[in-house]
Order: sequence, then C-alpha cells, then structure tokens
Amino acid sequence: MSSTVTRIRVAAVAAAASIAVLAGCSSPAPSGDSASADACAPAKGKVTLQYWNTVPGMDEVVALWNKKNPNIQVETKNISNDQYGTIGNALKAGKAPDLAQVGYDELPNLRSQDAFADASACKAATDAKSAFVPWTWSQASFGGTGVFAIPQDTGPMALYVRSDIFKKHGLEIPKTWDEYATEAQKLHKADPNLSMTFFDPNNAEWFNGLLWQNSAEMYSYSGDKWHVAVESEQSKQVADYWQKLIDAKLVRTDLAHGSTQMYTAYQKDQIATYVGAAWGYSMFRDNLPKQAGKWSIVPMPTWGSSAASGDWGGSTVAFMKGGKHPYESVKFNTWLNTDPEALALENKLGGLYPAATAGLALPALSQGVAYYDNEKIFDVFAESSKNIDTEFTWGPTQKTVNLALQDAMAKATAGDGTVADALTAAQDAALKSMKDQAIPATAGK
Amino acid sequence: MTDLATRATRGVATTEGRRRRHNGGGPRAGTIAAFVTPFFLPFVLFYLVPIGYALWQSLLVVRRTGGQYGTSYTTFGGLEQYTQVFQNTEFWGSIGRIGLFGIVQVPVMLFVALVMALLLDTPLLKLKAFFRISAFMPYAVPGVIAAIMWSYLYSPQISPVVDLLKGVGLQPDFLGPGAVLWSTANVSTWLWTGYNMLIMFSALQSIPQELYEAAKLDGASNWAIAWRIKVPIIAPSVVLTTVFSIIGTLQLYAEPAVLRQISSNISSTFTPNMLAYTVASGNNYQQAAAISVVIAVITFVLSFGFMRLTSKRAGL
Repeated sequence: MSSTVTRIRVAAVAAAASIAVLAGCSSPAPSGDSASADACAPAKGKVTLQYWNTVPGMDEVVALWNKKNPNIQVETKNISNDQYGTIGNALKAGKAPDLAQVGYDELPNLRSQDAFADASACKAATDAKSAFVPWTWSQASFGGTGVFAIPQDTGPMALYVRSDIFKKHGLEIPKTWDEYATEAQKLHKADPNLSMTFFDPNNAEWFNGLLWQNSAEMYSYSGDKWHVAVESEQSKQVADYWQKLIDAKLVRTDLAHGSTQMYTAYQKDQIATYVGAAWGYSMFRDNLPKQAGKWSIVPMPTWGSSAASGDWGGSTVAFMKGGKHPYESVKFNTWLNTDPEALALENKLGGLYPAATAGLALPALSQGVAYYDNEKIFDVFAESSKNIDTEFTWGPTQKTVNLALQDAMAKATAGDGTVADALTAAQDAALKSMKDQAIPATAGK
Repeated sequence: MTDLATRATRGVATTEGRRRRHNGGGPRAGTIAAFVTPFFLPFVLFYLVPIGYALWQSLLVVRRTGGQYGTSYTTFGGLEQYTQVFQNTEFWGSIGRIGLFGIVQVPVMLFVALVMALLLDTPLLKLKAFFRISAFMPYAVPGVIAAIMWSYLYSPQISPVVDLLKGVGLQPDFLGPGAVLWSTANVSTWLWTGYNMLIMFSALQSIPQELYEAAKLDGASNWAIAWRIKVPIIAPSVVLTTVFSIIGTLQLYAEPAVLRQISSNISSTFTPNMLAYTVASGNNYQQAAAISVVIAVITFVLSFGFMRLTSKRAGL
C-alpha cells in the first residue's frame, strides 16, 4: 500500500512543481488599442499613487515630492529584482501600479501586451514633448501622438579610459574603431596580461548600443507589417569587428558586466578601457574608489569620420493600464523627470542622466566630477546624446531576441560560431517570436 | 502490477464492506469531511487547479487584431503548442543535456551517499553525531546560496581554489564550455548527498541488531554484512532516493541559473525548466505551459518507469 501512495505522490509532486511556476499567468483580455479618451480631470481630495522603480535613492526624491504635495502622495516600491517579471505578473493579476519604470527597449513589448494607458488627454502630458531629447520622446510615444510614458534617463555612450595605463604604454586616445583595435594590439603586445576592454557575450543591451551607433536599425513598420533587419550590413560590420578582437584575444570574454569578477579585473589594472553609458559614471565611482583620478571619459570611437553615438539603457516612467488618476499621475511624472531639483537628486543618488533637455544643462551636470579628476564628463555625454540616431526602433519581442543573441554570442566566444552567426540567430528568433505572438513580420528592411 | 491491482481491489472491497455495516452514518460523513477538508481544499486550490490551468493554457494560441501593436487575445489551438515543443531543437538539446547530467550525477551522488551511510553505521566510527550533522549540513543551505558560494570558488578571477591549482601548474576552467555542466553537477552533488545519505542511514538504523549478531555467528565479515545484509534491506530507500534524484534532475533550475550569471557557457535554455522560464518571460505563456506539461510527463514516465523496473528486485 505504502509504495502505491509513494508512487502517486512522486508523480504528483513532479507534475505540480513544474506546473506551479505557471500559476497566475493568464491571457490579457482583449481591449482597444486606441488611445483611451478618458477625461483628464483632477480628483477631489487626496490621492495616493503607486510608483514602481529600480533607481537607488528614488525614495528620497519621492519624499521631496510628498512634502511639497500633501494631496498627491506617492508610494514607491523598488522592483530592481526581476523588474519585468514583477510588472508582467501585476498586469496579469490586474494590480499594476499607476506608474512604473520601463526601459526603452521593453516599451514595444509591453505595449503589445496592452500594458499602458494613454495620457495624451492631459494637456500637461502632450506639452511635455518639447522638454525631452527627441529620440526619447519618440520611443515613449511610439512615434505617434499618444503619451504612454515620460522619458526619465538615457545612456548615451562614451569611452572610459584609464589615463595612467595609456600614458604608461604610450597609447593614444582612439578616435575611430580602427584606431581602437590598433591601440588594443599595442597594449596587448606591451603586456599580455593587459586587455583593452571586455566583450560580455551575455549583454545584448550593450551590443545593441554598439549596433545603434552604426545606424543598424533593426526594426521598422510599414505596410501593416514589421520589417526585421537584425541581420543587416551595418550590424554585420559591428559583429565582424568584435569577432576579430575576440579571435586575436585582444579583449577579454570571461567577464560579466557588473559582476564582482569584472570589478576585480579593473581593480587589478588588467583592463584599460570601458565602452559604457552615462549611468556608468557612478558605478565606477562607487565600486572602485581607489582608482579616483585615474579615469577619464572621451567620445566613443566612430566608424567613419562623422560623429555618431549609441545609447545603452535608460528608462521611462510609464502610465500603466488601470491607473485611476491620470491628472495626478501626469503631474507627478512630469515633475519627476523635468524638475531641476528632482533631476539633480536622481543624478546624485541614482546616477541617472536625464532625458530632459533642460536636465543636460543642470548645474550639477556642468561641473567637474571629483572622481574623474574634476573633468567635465557630462559635457562628453551631452555631446554623445546629440549624436544618437533618432530613427532607432526596438522590436515588440525584444527580450526574446536579446536572449537568443546572448546565447549565440556566448557560443561564439566559446569558439562555436561567430558573432555574425549570433545576428542570424537573433534574426530568426525575432521572426519566430513575432509569429508566436501573431505579430505580422517579414525579413528585410 | 497484478499484485498491485489485487491489493487495490481488496482495499475497495473492505471499505465497501465496512460502509454497509454502518448504514446511514450521517454524523460520520461530517466527521470525515472535517478531517479531509484541510487536505482536500489546498490540494484542489494549489495542485489540481494549477495543473488544469496549465493544461488549458497549453492548448491555446495567441491571435491579434490589427495595427502596429494590435491587441492580442487567445483562442483554442489544439495541439499546436505541443507540435512546436516537439519540433524545438532547443528543447531536445536541454533534455539531452540534462539526461547526460543525470546519468552521471545521480549514480555518483547516490553511491557516495550509500558509502557514507554505511560508514556511519559501522560500530568502528567515533563521533557519529558530528559526522552525520556535517554531512547533512549542505542540505540546510538553500540551493541558490550554494550556487553563489560555488560560483565564487569556480570563478578564475577571485577563487582561492583556482589560485591554488594554478600554483601547482594547472589551468582549471570550471566555467568553460566542456566543464560547466559538471561544475553544475558538483553543486547538486554537494547539496544533496547528505540528504540522501540521511534517508539511507535512517533505513539502516531500523534494521534489527539481531540480524548482524546472527551473521557474525555465521562468520560474516563487516564487508559481507554491509554488502549482503544492509544494502539489500535498504534497497527500497535507495530506489526512493533515485526517484527523487531523477525528478530533481529534470527540474534543475536554481544552480545553473545562478552560475549563468558568471558563465556565458550556460545558455538561457540550458535545462528544460530554464527554457520554460525563458519562453514565459518572452510572454509566450501558452508555449511555456506546453513545455511544462511535457517535462511533467517525461518526469512521470521516467520516475514511474524506474520504480516499475526496480520494484521486483528491490522487493517493493
């Protein structure tokens, strides 16, 4: 008898454990995609808004708002741990907050899951357009007239350089990617334990930033169809370039971005540069305090002679479906992302580089930064920000594409295939995942 | 199976007989309900409903109406999701990987556990309680924490182990493409050996001492006692731990997911459960449900199959 019970229990446990993961997922209810024409009237009496974010120190910014606005109180929740899983589950459960932080690359995905409310009925929301760097507004409004999110920060890219290592080995600041490769070779020859940088195969977001710089527009929409060009001439150029550096062992491939291992390698003076974004400035400052004064920030190398830059990361604060207070949400959201006092605090505590054009001229962002030898590093990022291709569009299944890209790039760094093959894998994943989501798509531009 | 069926039929017959004797037992039904409900309610809510829900989800497909982003809705799609699972090379890749993992890791772990249990059971060993607790200790560490701990030991940049090995002229690459599966297996083995040992050890404890005395009188050595008496008697425990291990292997998630943070050689589809998670995180819940159902069926078939295969030999 006991063995029968055991058998049934064993099978039951097995079935339950693998299925329990899926409990709580449900299909989104069909509803209109068009802008909801909800009136934008202020609420009577006190309102409490829910705002989910991933930025360190955001509670202090919100405390400042709460002090000034007794009738619109904001409650924050940090969702850094599994940001999109948390948002996705909340949406399915019908318990999404009023406002949530969403990265630019996740916007189309969540939009196709019907996650957002359109705040364009509020004049303050549409008026905010002129306050932001054009590409950020374009991505948050999906190139249309709706206002689904307010841009918060961006990640204009630049090159972080260890000046002391460069000086020691007589290297010059590279202006183009070709020069960067030449200097990388020189450095490696001078000391085989030194690498110019690292290529993290598990970081599609970073790689996408490099593609963006080379005008590799991966998606477009026309004729009722998405056009998928993840595998384009421009992206292949980037892939082949890094493949060469990997093959020649001029860049490390064993470091994950942001890991203890990465910081250790920098700490041990093994790596001379970092191809990064604006928000990285506080990362180095906070994690490698002993290297103060050794770093400097210069424009990222370019492909041709004309200046071009890419963006890596950055976020918006989105209006979530089901939010009941559009007027108050817009009021708080625009304050959060345009008010000089709020922006300065976010930059200081969370390292955010504002998406608001006025933010770029903040006093805090025009001063020298002590860690970087008092260089005016934000001037470099402001310049970079101006040189970002505004046409770049993210796909509606970006997360799946990124994972496919990462898996294949990892294979490439392990010697199985090339980075260019990874683009093919990502292209296939894009088409397949869009088909699975019944989104009409075709290959090519 | 016939044996089982007979037992089952006998069971039913007895219950029916009893019921006839207590005809019209109204309050008794209430009593039964009072005892059964605390089990039955959570069983339905947290077990049957999720399974049913996953099965239902796996039969759906997403469709969409117009526009660049459109509006999605789900509709019945029959076995379409399952067809996709069976055609998915990533899925079969993950099953193959985990199969290889299990074929090596499970026997190694259980053999070590068995040897440890037998050693603990010998009268020669001193400080038994100490050894028992130390061997069991890793099980008290949550899988995620264990994986984080091992990831530090594997990591070439910060590991004292790697430094030591380099000191004697070796170049270990625990996270390399060929080694990472076995580094993961090592974490699982470390975590679960003590647990399995304890199950086997408890079984050993329940063997009456007279048996050993009788064997000794017959001139049996300690080795013969261990191999010819102890192991056959605790065979059901070994079978049980094997079944648990088969299930555990097929559901492997935490260890590789943590090691993935530092090794790019663990893909997002490394194990079947990781694949299901990856697919679900891409909003393809229906496909993820189908993958989960297939994993559950494979687990069921393997564990049930193993029990059938061994039930006669193990005397179950």
